[in-house]
Amino acid sequence: MVTPYPPVRDGIASYALQSVAQLRGQGHDVRVLSPGPSAAHEHLDLVGPRGGLALAKRVRDYDRVVVQFHPDFFYPVQATSVERLEVSAALATAFRLAARVEVVVHEVDYRLGRGRSLAALAMRAMWRQVDDIVVHSETERRSFVEAFGVPPGRVRVVDHGSAFVARSAVGRPEARASLGIAPDAFVFLSIGFIQPHKGYDRAIDAFAGMTPPARLDVVGSVRVEEPDFVRYAEDLEAAAEATAGVSVHLGYVSDELFDRWILASDVVVLPYREIWSSGVMERARLLDRPVIATRVGALADQARGAQGVRLVADDAELRLAMREAAGVQELPSNDGWSEAGARRDDVQALVVARAAARRGAVPSSRLSDASAPNIDAVATAPLRRLHELHLPDPGAGRGLRPRLRRVVRRLTAWQLQPVVDHVNALTRASVQSVSRAADPADDGTGGRRGR
Amino acid sequence: MTGREGKIGLVPARYGEKIVGGAEIVLKQMAAGLRDRGWDVEILTTTALDHHSWANELAPGFAVEDGMPVRRFPVVDEVAPDRGELEHRILSGERLTIAEQQRWMNGGMRVPELYHYLLDNADDYRALIFTPYPFWVTFACSQIVPSKSVLWTCLHDEPYAYLDLFEPVFAGSAGLLFQSGPEQDLAERIQSGLSPHAVVGCGVEIPESYDPEGFRERHGIDGPFLLYAGRREGAKGWDDLLMSLARIYERRELPFTLVTMGAGEVRAPRGLEGKVVDVGFLDDRERDNAFAAAAAYLQPSRYEAFSRTIMEAWLAGTPVIANGGSAVVSWHCERSGAGLTYDDEFELEQCLFFVADAPEQAAAMASSGRGYVLENYTWELVLDRVERSLEEWTVAP
Repeated sequence: MVTPYPPVRDGIASYALQSVAQLRGQGHDVRVLSPGPSAAHEHLDLVGPRGGLALAKRVRDYDRVVVQFHPDFFYPVQATSVERLEVSAALATAFRLAARVEVVVHEVDYRLGRGRSLAALAMRAMWRQVDDIVVHSETERRSFVEAFGVPPGRVRVVDHGSAFVARSAVGRPEARASLGIAPDAFVFLSIGFIQPHKGYDRAIDAFAGMTPPARLDVVGSVRVEEPDFVRYAEDLEAAAEATAGVSVHLGYVSDELFDRWILASDVVVLPYREIWSSGVMERARLLDRPVIATRVGALADQARGAQGVRLVADDAELRLAMREAAGVQELPSNDGWSEAGARRDDVQALVVARAAARRGAVPSSRLSDASAPNIDAVATAPLRRLHELHLPDPGAGRGLRPRLRRVVRRLTAWQLQPVVDHVNALTRASVQSVSRAADPADDGTGGRRGR
Repeated sequence: MTGREGKIGLVPARYGEKIVGGAEIVLKQMAAGLRDRGWDVEILTTTALDHHSWANELAPGFAVEDGMPVRRFPVVDEVAPDRGELEHRILSGERLTIAEQQRWMNGGMRVPELYHYLLDNADDYRALIFTPYPFWVTFACSQIVPSKSVLWTCLHDEPYAYLDLFEPVFAGSAGLLFQSGPEQDLAERIQSGLSPHAVVGCGVEIPESYDPEGFRERHGIDGPFLLYAGRREGAKGWDDLLMSLARIYERRELPFTLVTMGAGEVRAPRGLEGKVVDVGFLDDRERDNAFAAAAAYLQPSRYEAFSRTIMEAWLAGTPVIANGGSAVVSWHCERSGAGLTYDDEFELEQCLFFVADAPEQAAAMASSGRGYVLENYTWELVLDRVERSLEEWTVAP
């Protein structure tokens, strides 16, 4: 099996592990090859044509090759058409040499198979070398056949969760206690890799204005340290800071922790902008948690016949669905603006007050006292949004570029690192100072005045 | 107290005779103790014995070694090009991204065959006990079936402990066995929502007798000596200890030689030439004799989850001089009243002066140590606590 693999945390790795366990349980002798070091038996950098050709050297040793496919495993990010052509040709070679190839498609861009360009022709040729293509929905199957011209008989639909097993044995009370969640909270959960197309910001917007015991937890990590993804994570943290009841938990999420979060939740919210199929939805179904998801990709197919999955078309429906799930009355359509009348100053005052409430500073008339935000948090928010500075990661790998980056880092770190450390120390000190200045209970020396 | 149903797999990264490493030795003794109490016990480990080279020295497969069923799996040790740099950045306190932490964890030794054995056979075990927490074997394999995974954590206040990577391990396992109150305090400070946990202590074997004079004769050691036992490496405070001693000896001639046993290279710095005696790896009996013969036992490590060696010193009636940077060792010294701690070279110097100038007082101070060990850390007591925890946290088949 060619796949990312644990203990590297990755949804596809988790999926693959369960497939491996299932195949081994059936008596197959399964060897695993992963793109980087892991618990796999072998690892190989698969990106680029060399990756495909290296794979080609190995595939003849096996009776059956199963590839968990995501374009990023093989094609450079933002690959040119020439690069796509080269990689597809290399993979086609590997697939042709294998006795039997099965590819489980986790993500693919159908547009790249259409048209008459050499890159598109090469990609179609590559897919035609595959004996068995597995997708997770009928919609994906139709699109795949149309885009890549493969015989329909070779593309089969397999239930996304067919090999899934629960990875946490705790009940909801224990899961909540371990995560610091009150037993009576109503927990919305958005979980998965933090990427703009996952749309977690939509969940935060839809949640805004809800009051305790409702809460929204966004849980995940940035899969690839791409600037866009890192910025998106920062934006989510800023949005959470500005929205009472929302928390973003960025960090390593093991399979067990992933399931524990789902078990602790009341509703799993998947506000994807685009996706084909969702492993999170399958895990939520496995663990018997209702799901609110946007109707994108093949999620409707995936959800067909499933209990507890509600699909929504847009942000308004998402907001409504979340409110109904929590038993909250939807706000009047003008959302309370009528109390300000038409006088500009009144409206302006209301604008300021509501914005502050959203940010978490002053409770609006609709928010209970329990939701009153921490004044320290507000005062220090702009500073805290400045995340710690790090020298750029030179990255792993043996190629010329990573080696060069590592050399540059070694040569410059002695000068740059003290600056980085000082900037971070300055940021922390600033946060502390502003927090003390903003807290009326603080006597200015770090001590607390009597209460 | 217990039906002792189900098989217990103990999963140290190394297992065998002549292993120097507290966690591995303790797990070996725990396995034997649980087996003697009627548990079905098996060791799952690697074919390596050396934690630096991770060379596959033993044959893979199943064998019964000294009455203990042992399954060994080969190590894959391909060190990633950037692992050293990542390690350095962790140790210097830099905060690594999750991707970097994962590269660090997977960039060293790995044991895929053990991982897949557990993937296939975890159902055969009631519980799997892993140690220590930062090793790949513990990190990767304990996450296969977390509901059966119990960690003998060996947690120290060190940069690794704060990596995000370990949060799910500390919070999502079946249970955590701690060796001391400070270790538990540290875990609770680092991680909210810890897995079920208990302070069970660490078992120490009680020697029947000592032969200090015989030890001196066999190793040709005259006069009083200070003892250091364990791995001779920087992480254990060995290098710092030698440098401090060299400077102290420059300031005042002390009557002690430094005797050391264990693994690792001994490089006496200038000023200590001829004053350091390496007796190498000793069997348990001779080790105990060395403790009894010493004027004081030195524990320079800041990173101790328990420090079995200070217990061995106290059992032999020998005073302990320890690095106060270790909360655990300080805790033991304060509770037992049988050890001194130092926070810098000058305090170490004064500790040594005390032992040199007032040896009878030093011995009197140490006398409470033996009782402290017997009241808290015999294997009988520790195994009782371990069994209670296993019964509580895991499900009988």
